Amino acid sequence: MFLRQREPLSFERSVPGKRGMDLPKLDVPEAKDTRPAHLKRSGFDALPELTEVEVIRHFTRLSKWNYGVDDGMYPLGSCTMKHNPRLNEKVAGLPGFTDSHPMAPDALVQGNLEMLYTLQEWLKEITGLPGVTLQPSAGAAGELTGVMLIRAYHLSHGRKRRVILIPDSGHGTNPATAAMAGYEVVELPSRPDGTISFEDVTDPVNGKVRKGLQTLVSELGTEIAGAMITNPNTVGVFEYRFKEISDLLHSVDALVYMDGANMNALVGVARPGDFGVDVMHLNLHKTMSTPHGGGGPGAGPVCCGANLMPFLPVPVVVRDTVKVGEGEVPRHSYRMDWNRPQSIGKVHTFYGNFGILVRALTYCLSHGSDGLKEATLRAIVNANYIRARLKDAYALHIDSPSLHEVVFSDTLQAQHDVHTLDIAKRLIDHGYHPPTIYFPLIVPGALMIEPTESEGKDELDAFCDTMLAIAKEAEENPDALHQAPMLAPLRRLDETTAARKPVLRWTRA
Amino acid sequence: MRYLPSSPVEDRALLDTIGVPNAEALLVGIPKPLRLARELDLPTQGSEQEVAWQMMGLANKNMRFCAQFLGAGAYDHFVPSAIDAMISRQEWFTAYTPYQPEISQGTLQHIFEYQTLICDLTGLEVTNASLYDGGTACVEAALMAVRVAKKRNTVLISRGLHPMYRDVLKTNFDPHEDLHLVEVGLKDGVTDLADLQAKLNGDVAAVMVGYPNFLGVAEDLTALAEPVHAAGALLISVTQEAFAFGWFEAPGKVGADMACGEAMSLGNKPNFGGPFLGFLAVKDAHKREIPGRVVGQTKDLNGETGYVLTLTAREQHIRRDKATSNICSNQGLVALRANIFMQLAGPGGLRGLAEQNAAKAQYLRQRLLELPDMEAVGDQPFLNEFVLRYTGDYAALQEACLKESLLPGLDLGRFYPEYAGCILWCATELHTRQMIESLVEILARVPATV
Repeated sequence: MFLRQREPLSFERSVPGKRGMDLPKLDVPEAKDTRPAHLKRSGFDALPELTEVEVIRHFTRLSKWNYGVDDGMYPLGSCTMKHNPRLNEKVAGLPGFTDSHPMAPDALVQGNLEMLYTLQEWLKEITGLPGVTLQPSAGAAGELTGVMLIRAYHLSHGRKRRVILIPDSGHGTNPATAAMAGYEVVELPSRPDGTISFEDVTDPVNGKVRKGLQTLVSELGTEIAGAMITNPNTVGVFEYRFKEISDLLHSVDALVYMDGANMNALVGVARPGDFGVDVMHLNLHKTMSTPHGGGGPGAGPVCCGANLMPFLPVPVVVRDTVKVGEGEVPRHSYRMDWNRPQSIGKVHTFYGNFGILVRALTYCLSHGSDGLKEATLRAIVNANYIRARLKDAYALHIDSPSLHEVVFSDTLQAQHDVHTLDIAKRLIDHGYHPPTIYFPLIVPGALMIEPTESEGKDELDAFCDTMLAIAKEAEENPDALHQAPMLAPLRRLDETTAARKPVLRWTRA
Repeated sequence: MRYLPSSPVEDRALLDTIGVPNAEALLVGIPKPLRLARELDLPTQGSEQEVAWQMMGLANKNMRFCAQFLGAGAYDHFVPSAIDAMISRQEWFTAYTPYQPEISQGTLQHIFEYQTLICDLTGLEVTNASLYDGGTACVEAALMAVRVAKKRNTVLISRGLHPMYRDVLKTNFDPHEDLHLVEVGLKDGVTDLADLQAKLNGDVAAVMVGYPNFLGVAEDLTALAEPVHAAGALLISVTQEAFAFGWFEAPGKVGADMACGEAMSLGNKPNFGGPFLGFLAVKDAHKREIPGRVVGQTKDLNGETGYVLTLTAREQHIRRDKATSNICSNQGLVALRANIFMQLAGPGGLRGLAEQNAAKAQYLRQRLLELPDMEAVGDQPFLNEFVLRYTGDYAALQEACLKESLLPGLDLGRFYPEYAGCILWCATELHTRQMIESLVEILARVPATV
């Protein structure tokens, strides 16, 4: 599947005198040079000189060293690598959208504003939360916005709070976000079933006691600003005591932030606003299938309860109903509401990753209420099918009911000195992108598999057959696994040297 | 549903293997009272044709223009066809963050090349795989400067920074009670040196200035660097129009210790403000404090050159609450657009485009100044944006332009009360002489102030 031919860096192919862009004829007088001498651009050291032919071939060849969701199953847990419908790409490229200027007056961009408003309405109904901002550019940006809303809420009640509680199974972005918002992080321990522990937990290895939610709430009380909880959690398990957790936190007026990374398990089935969540983000690049783009752009809208709405970032897109005569269909106009005195301010230069939001609404309209729910159920069925087929060959460290993803451990394979990394790399030889590995941290040698609803039975079977073959190989020929991947364009890469002696750009020899 | 590969026979087989009668049985982990007891109150699924028409209907509700004379942080430039063709390849647009380097060398090598070119444009040594946009890039730069400068708690920001970048900075500094963001005023369209000197002290970690600033003027970084460095602070240049790197000297070569801003101009349309492309370039000495993904070169087991995500010890998935930032997803595909754009343009293209932008903007300015109600405001070097005072009524001017499908420049008083009555104009390589003449002709007919 991969092109074996090596592609050099474009800089190494540069030849003076070539160009890949011809400029239009200048139809006005040449620019007068008013720059002070020291501010005139001097030379470039790296910009290559290439024709369009060479640039196209370069990026086409490089692309063949990548793996995309159209190549096959991409079971990266917590990343929700589902099919990217081509309609969404086409719509996002409509000149009516792409040419529109963010500083244009509201009256000239009614289509954009209606698009944003409509997406807000969909997200409100899906989450059961009445407030939405579409500004955050990614999940982590959404988290930061959400935690700043929590902070603004407490400040509006005339108090500062110090602590954010985060389960030990949480994504690394959660504690990093809390720190960026000026909070101290206190970790919540997990129970053996992967959910948050109300009771204190004694570490079986070192005997240390870690305080559970109950103890932390009673000891820290009104020091707690809120908690950031992923639900379903990173083990793919629903926090079945969520309502009790939120009630307990609300008893000290601490707020509940839900990390919505795993919302693909809940759309149409359960709504965070109905089980005690005050504020959450959605990853539209996961749940609503906007393409991941090799690391972005994404979109991380934040939805919140009425208690947090006054603090939402400016501007908020609102709809006004234009008065019409009796019996006529009401007409609407849309505008940006900038007059929100309690707002935390702006979190994006303009209004978020608009082009991504267009794709997300297209996804919603295509699926509809029925398709969204069907997608959720199929994602859950697919994960459980993999679980059923692999549970004898790979250890289920946590045996709670799985939703949209299933997390195995490498403990069975470790007996043969085969570890998660080896299994992951061997999958590459079989033509698969590996699952998320070594996360969550509470599962030893975690292999977190999220098939999404985009896989049919034949694809699931092929993947499971491969995983079973690898399990067998681990017993019979473990050394072959240590060598993997053998069939990828490159063998395992030396990450240690890369970090110790970083080479972060090309320089002329 | 066309996106769900399933059939009744296969569904049955899946459920039988799992051992449940139906999919709902798998929701057992979600307590019943917490489930949604009804269907979502939303329209049902739509065919591709229906959805396409609905979305086209929305796109068509936006007003289209023959020409936009508005920049202000979102610039309309020509986008070479190769860019859309390339990024439409599924290997680029559907892939995830390159966590598994052996099958992500395409993305990794692209980012390495992109990093090289951003360093080249800015004259600095280290950059990352991108940040969200200009505003958030300013936040990351400011927070990084505070980490680098240890024990200094203040960042000075020039009033010449894009007003929305300043808003985003304020939002993000607000939660840090120990950190201060202090504005430095403008004088004659550039950062006021006297005000800057008055505010520089041992607490100042960094000073951020526009290059060019929101008014289109290239600040004299060399002159600013002197007092800033003498006070032991870092100078950060903020660029909202990346084409400026083809006209003005690389910030890293004229005194900037860090360069950040917005690079949407490299291969993107205005797109109603996003997705855009934030960047941050720094000196080698500061590389371990940079936020976000960074790609490095290394070797594989066979000694072949390859690329990996590196310096991960800074990042959230390792350091958690001690990380340099919470950022993980960035603007990967937009960075790819920029990379392809830069490689097509090359040094000649980038310089040539900058020269054309300067020529068009100078011609527009000259023609507008021939109108009786337009007056010059300052005479500093600019690339493609400049400010003129308009003695007429902006609303009337705007109406006249819109009637002829032209989008006029920005009413600057909206963001700078001290510039009330001034307009920020922009012209790029897209503006033909004909468009400029049409604008001038229309403005000449706008009725004088009542």
